[in-house]
Amino acid sequence: MKMPEVADIEQLPVPQARAGEPAAWDTLFRRYQLPLYVYVFELIHHEQASLDLVQETFIAAVKHLGSLRDDGKFGSWLFGIAHQKCIQHWRKRTDVLFDEVPEPPDEFEDSPDNLLIRAESEAGFMKLVEQLPLPQRAVLLLHFVEDFSLEEIARITETNTGTVKSRLHYAKKSLRKLLEAKNENPA
Amino acid sequence: MKTPREILLAQHRAAGPKLDAIRHDVVSTLNNQETKSPVSESIFVSSFLDCSKKMWDELVLPSRRIWSGLAAVWLLIIVVNVSQRDHSPVGKVASAPVLISAREQQRLMNELFADRTLPVEAEPPKTFSPKPHTQTFQTFAT
Repeated sequence: MKMPEVADIEQLPVPQARAGEPAAWDTLFRRYQLPLYVYVFELIHHEQASLDLVQETFIAAVKHLGSLRDDGKFGSWLFGIAHQKCIQHWRKRTDVLFDEVPEPPDEFEDSPDNLLIRAESEAGFMKLVEQLPLPQRAVLLLHFVEDFSLEEIARITETNTGTVKSRLHYAKKSLRKLLEAKNENPA
Repeated sequence: MKTPREILLAQHRAAGPKLDAIRHDVVSTLNNQETKSPVSESIFVSSFLDCSKKMWDELVLPSRRIWSGLAAVWLLIIVVNVSQRDHSPVGKVASAPVLISAREQQRLMNELFADRTLPVEAEPPKTFSPKPHTQTFQTFAT
């Protein structure tokens, strides 16, 4: 099922936004507002702060669109701004260590991406996502919400592809483990 | 069965109206900017503020403990420096006996070097008045 917010990347009016057309910006923001909010909220868990960060991201995007070289990468570029805003938010408040990187395994398990969750496990799934360490959660959210490629996630989180691969692997593994445990013991 | 994306978006769909309002705000600002031509001064100020904010965020905030530690050390150094400064009046104003002896010394020095230091009076220049040659001869004869 295709979500109503999602538009094809090819149809996004980035060149028109570059020309300063407000209608183009409206279309772009409409397309990304909810996924951006989901990403920011699931990282910082504060409604008002998340809304503020989304607004700041929009304003920064309008201001700095000139720095975007490839119009096709508008989505990952926008998420990159939001990610930086989240990091600035953490720096202001607490000493969250976002860059703690787990050691990459020698071999990656070929975990299928078509993870499907039963209706009764939805709330549990959200709690499980919350339990993940911050770097893994960020990577997993970017993968789930916008289906960004490893390279795009690496660009957004300013890490290398290997680290993203490792984080995604660990995140999926622990999520799967938690889901399995939950299915075995539903209580 | 739902995909994680569907679950995540559905969980936060309630924030939609607030996000719409934010979008409207930003786009209406764009509309206003379109009608008004940007003033170069305001651009300069805003870029300066942006730069300062970025510097604050990137340079100061991440290592705020180090910066405050350095500031504390400097404050300590200033306090120690000020507290150790000599505030006694002895060094500044001389006592009466010292003044008297100094004046006496000065007087003796003046007496000793008085003749040498006084300027020698020069003789007044001799005036020469020219006379006729005959008169000059007479003067020699007498």
